[in-house]
Amino acid sequence: MKQPRQRRLRSRLSTASIYAVLVAGAALTLAPFLLSAMTSLKSARQLAHEPSLALPDPVTLDSFRSLFSEHSFLTPLAVTAQVTLVVLVVQLTCSILAAYAFARLTFPGRDLLFWVYLATMMIPQVATLVPLYSIMVSAGLRNTFWGIVLPTLLGSPYAVFLLREYFRGIPEDIVSAARIDGCGPVRVLRYVVLPMSRPIIATLAVITIVAQWNNFLWPRVITSGEQWQVLTVATAALQSQFNGNWTLVTAATTIALLPLIVLYLLCQRQIVSSISLTGFK
Amino acid sequence: MPSAPLEPVRTLTDAPRTAEASLSGRQTAPTPPTAPAAVAPVDHRHTHRPTHRRRRRLVQALTGYAFLAPSLIGVGLFLVVPVIAAVVISFQDWDLISPATWVGWDNYVEVLRSPQVRNSLLVTIAFTVMVIPTQTGLGLFCAVLLHKKLPGSTFFRIVFAIPWICAPLTLGIVWKWIFAPTDGALNALLGVRIEWLSSLTLALPAVAAVNVWTHVGYVTLFFLAGLAAVPQDLQNAARLDGASETRLFWAVTVPLLRPTTFFVLATGIIGTFQAFDSIYAMTGGGPGVPGRTDVLAARIYYDAFESLDMGRAATLSVLLMILLVVLTVAQQRYFRRRITYDLS
Repeated sequence: MKQPRQRRLRSRLSTASIYAVLVAGAALTLAPFLLSAMTSLKSARQLAHEPSLALPDPVTLDSFRSLFSEHSFLTPLAVTAQVTLVVLVVQLTCSILAAYAFARLTFPGRDLLFWVYLATMMIPQVATLVPLYSIMVSAGLRNTFWGIVLPTLLGSPYAVFLLREYFRGIPEDIVSAARIDGCGPVRVLRYVVLPMSRPIIATLAVITIVAQWNNFLWPRVITSGEQWQVLTVATAALQSQFNGNWTLVTAATTIALLPLIVLYLLCQRQIVSSISLTGFK
Repeated sequence: MPSAPLEPVRTLTDAPRTAEASLSGRQTAPTPPTAPAAVAPVDHRHTHRPTHRRRRRLVQALTGYAFLAPSLIGVGLFLVVPVIAAVVISFQDWDLISPATWVGWDNYVEVLRSPQVRNSLLVTIAFTVMVIPTQTGLGLFCAVLLHKKLPGSTFFRIVFAIPWICAPLTLGIVWKWIFAPTDGALNALLGVRIEWLSSLTLALPAVAAVNVWTHVGYVTLFFLAGLAAVPQDLQNAARLDGASETRLFWAVTVPLLRPTTFFVLATGIIGTFQAFDSIYAMTGGGPGVPGRTDVLAARIYYDAFESLDMGRAATLSVLLMILLVVLTVAQQRYFRRRITYDLS
């Protein structure tokens, strides 16, 4: 039998080592963000003459100023926000309608169509790149707003799948009670199902925002020039054009990353709950 | 006679199996949520009026199609049609400018013989082998530490997952600066002058490390969910039987985490096979010829939009798609066989 005092000491030591590991992990996670944000606050002169880990002295917003004035970084910010908002609203609406049809209405071919939806979830984005590009070009949508949003605008099989699972879990009694009271499918959806599905809709909204904000490959391919550049494409273009001008480039990455990090910190509960939704079921 | 402490081994090995048995019983117990019986009362009133019922059914079918239409158009036009189009283009020679010509299986023969494609396949596999075990192991490790629920655990959990919600492309650019040979942060920190991303040997491990860094927090979240679902009474039983914490972890917790582990491994592998953005930002597929970080997704992109060889890119797309579908189906079959207890 160990002495209680000795055991307490041991558990304190193990607690201390756990915290040491966690703090080291957090430092490693945050360092790239903090160091790049720090670099964006330096003057170009300091970057050239002092070690790269030196604190910014003097702190200057020159890089941000030049980013927005000379390199018109406001345009990609606005385009990305527009794309994200439009896809969020339209895709969520279409997915809710489709999921409700799959979950609560009976019509010929329903199960077959749902099977097709499940199958399309396996298609990797990069594999549809070439055919999608040729389709969009022949539709005359190259370098347009609709060219960027259309592929993800109407249907996300993934969102339909998650919503359908959730809708099926709503007790049938409640839905049929509303039906007996004379509600058609639209009103059942609007006044019964939707209010009960707020958590899943919030989670899906966050997933959609993150996916759209971060999308790179498709906008990179379908747009050219500055008019419809999204943030990721603009940041990549800036980096390749001003390679080595790290104060400017880190200013761009900081601006590009900040909105999502703030969103994450505000909605981290919804985002974390998306894990248990997507993981099992 | 305290018999339990004398037989810790038998109890420990039996514990997971009994848990699975009892829990699988629970899984089959609840009735399906959509019981058709609940619709019956409405229909029942109209049984003596078959035309009325038929009309009701028609209205419901039409409503169903109307609700489904927008989403169905999207999925059809932008997912199903492109897959078919990819197959068609893969049998053509097409450079986006002159009209496409039919070439039969030529693209497939060319792609399967191409040393460049073989290089991309090997790079992708090497990348996956570097990333997946590391991120899974680290994720499990972090989850176990956070699961102890020491004060501040929530803070660390939130921090660890930050890279996961950021754009991989933007993170790639941040890391390109960190790896930069002369004015980068890493060399300044280590006091060395290493060309991380243009070294033939270091480029792929460096790119893989960034991918691990991006995903560890995400994997941690999955394992935390898995750990929360491990029945507490099993662990208590094992503790009563005198199992050490290490023994408890390997003999009880890890086997019970099997579904989580396989999910994390399978989705992780499917994800790394499609990795592109961060690699594009850091190395653009280079260094060297053929590129040391030239993963399959990068090869598709460069074949299509730099060499303008759409046929070859489509062929590679089709092959990648087949590979990933096989992986996904294998994963799901495995799941159906193995998941014996409810984690929802």
